[in-house]
Amino acid sequence: MISGAWLCLLAPLAGALSITFAGTRISRRLAGWLSTASVFVAFAGALWSFFALRAADSHNGRISTAWTWLQAGTFKVGMSVLVDPLSTLMMLVVAGVGGLIILYSIGYMDGDEEERRYFAYMSLFVFSMLLLVEGGNLLILLAGWGLVGLSSYLLIGFWHERPSAVAAAKKAFIMNAVGDATMALAFFVLIAHSSSLEFETSFTTAGHLSPTTVNLVALGLLGGAAAKSAQIPLHTWLPDAMEGPTPVSALIHAATMVTAGVYLIARTHPIFEQARTVELVAAGMGTLTLLVAGLIALVQTDIKRVIAYSTMSQIGYMFLGVGVGAYAGGMFHLVTHAFFKALLFLAAGLLIHALSGEQDIRKMRGIGALMPWTRWAFLAGALALVGLPPFSGFFSKDSIIAAALHDHWYGVVMAIAALVGAFLTGLYTFRLYFIVFPGEPSPFVREHHHAHHGKEGPLTMLVPVGVLTVLAIVGGWLQFAPVWHPLTTWLEPAARTLAVAEPTSTQEAVASALAVGLGLAGIGVAWALYGRAEAAVPRLPAVQRVLEHKLYFDEAYDSLFYHPAATIAVWLTRDFEEPVVLATGTDLGDGALEVGEGVRRLQTGLLRTYVFFIGTGIAVVGIVFLAVR
Amino acid sequence: MLQGPGIAWYLGVAAFLFGTGALGVLIRRNPLIVLLSLEIMLNGGNLALIAFARHAGNGAGQIFALTVMAVAASEVCVGLGLVVAIHRRRLALDVDELSELRG
Repeated sequence: MISGAWLCLLAPLAGALSITFAGTRISRRLAGWLSTASVFVAFAGALWSFFALRAADSHNGRISTAWTWLQAGTFKVGMSVLVDPLSTLMMLVVAGVGGLIILYSIGYMDGDEEERRYFAYMSLFVFSMLLLVEGGNLLILLAGWGLVGLSSYLLIGFWHERPSAVAAAKKAFIMNAVGDATMALAFFVLIAHSSSLEFETSFTTAGHLSPTTVNLVALGLLGGAAAKSAQIPLHTWLPDAMEGPTPVSALIHAATMVTAGVYLIARTHPIFEQARTVELVAAGMGTLTLLVAGLIALVQTDIKRVIAYSTMSQIGYMFLGVGVGAYAGGMFHLVTHAFFKALLFLAAGLLIHALSGEQDIRKMRGIGALMPWTRWAFLAGALALVGLPPFSGFFSKDSIIAAALHDHWYGVVMAIAALVGAFLTGLYTFRLYFIVFPGEPSPFVREHHHAHHGKEGPLTMLVPVGVLTVLAIVGGWLQFAPVWHPLTTWLEPAARTLAVAEPTSTQEAVASALAVGLGLAGIGVAWALYGRAEAAVPRLPAVQRVLEHKLYFDEAYDSLFYHPAATIAVWLTRDFEEPVVLATGTDLGDGALEVGEGVRRLQTGLLRTYVFFIGTGIAVVGIVFLAVR
Repeated sequence: MLQGPGIAWYLGVAAFLFGTGALGVLIRRNPLIVLLSLEIMLNGGNLALIAFARHAGNGAGQIFALTVMAVAASEVCVGLGLVVAIHRRRLALDVDELSELRG
């Protein structure tokens, strides 16, 4: 099972390297297939380790160390991979969904000038994420964490001739760097106390630390998780990241990157359990994010941005789940979300592809008539997102809400917020659906729509969408909490759900009924407002303006961080750099010239002056000599 | 062993020679005379060296004197060469006029 894990880890790296070094010797199409194949080989490796682990007697997981990577005194870090239930689950999702998305890219990116670079980056991205989830100690995890940040930067800024894409890439990288820094600080604290970054040692160490220290460590980890998973207050990069190609958005949102924070909390849950307050802060952060993102999604007009905000919102649910201690619940939602979110993005990509890059939903009206299959696929994804049975979101989202319900008064508050979030999910998802698909095709659609050989897209795009549609429908049947819970059992050795987060059947039933009811209500309101247009959309200009400005987070960060820094920089330029740094050089030169001008007068060219100076010099030396003696 | 006048007399003569030479270097303008005065200064020095050598009873001072003579000979070669060169270019043979190196 270890060989499977290594295969899974190294195949995408090999893919990325071979595409890079082959350069123009291979065709663009071949680069795409190479990348796809490398990730599917990784998926095979993941399956191999999954079945080997299932067959093994103990599911406690094994760490395989290839070599010692770093050593300093007693501190030692190996290049190691970990195979346990949690990491194999993540490997399967990352490599599986990632492979489908890269296959889709072959059709989507067809004809782009720089396809080879794109596919090399995609493979690198999958490799980074696999390194993150398979890392056998916290430092390897951090290495993968950083590489994920790097490859997301490269892919968001893939269309580097667009200034907005470059800005978005930088924003994502910087926001992520904030999280990376807090995480590194947490690791330093751990190293200081245990001089080790092995999972086991760190977890036992966390048990002996003072409450303040362990809270600090957990906060550092939470900072990293929030940045990577785009939770408030470090979320502003995610909507901008839509500047990348659509499959990249799908990869970032579904298979890699944003789920890393959820994985991190589940992986390091022993530390978070020592710092229960911080864990609940994570849950609260998730709750806040799911509400805010749901509200902002209501007013967005870019199809990808709506889906992006829905991702933020769904990750909020996952944070809520792992925050209250339902690690399996959070991970389950991660899996189903990977299916239906990849589906939604890829279906949106089909629309964008068919409309030559148009992303404004107001122009897309009525496209469902021309692309019926895409419409059905999108509908399946949307229903899964809203969480209606039997679609996958129903099973995972409801168990998170039920788990939150159990935990004290704040649990009830969070559960109610999550239920409101379910209503919002129904509303914004079906606002999107009702604006885009039904009705007569608009003139814009008629003019710009072009079919691909009579189909809705090339086969490489349709197949992944089809597979994901099936997964988005059946993926949730993996677990139906009260009666059937193989996933929770499977994850138990790695991340046992806290007793406090184990809902009773009544709670499950109440949560499910309320969530489905509110989701349906959301759909109903969306239908009334946008589908039949019976009722006018309420005019609340103030609210709308606030939401369109995304609650002024960007503006606040601008005035909090950017403007003070820029002011200081301008001030330093004017009062320090120009008068001090730049002037020093010329001042030195001028000084040397002046001294030279003075000394020049000594050089008279007259022999007797020199003789006089020599004589005087000798006399002075002689007198000094005699006087000193 | 030592016969004749004491070292003070020798040094007196040496100082006189040196002073004469130095005065010549300072006040004469003809480079030829300046070079000549330089030779007188060097010989004043040589005389002092030899007197000290006799006084100390070893030959080191005499070796110094010989070295000085060798240096003086080469210096005169260069100096006289310069004088000839100046003359050939029909420049004034006057050290005050030759002040091209003034800064």
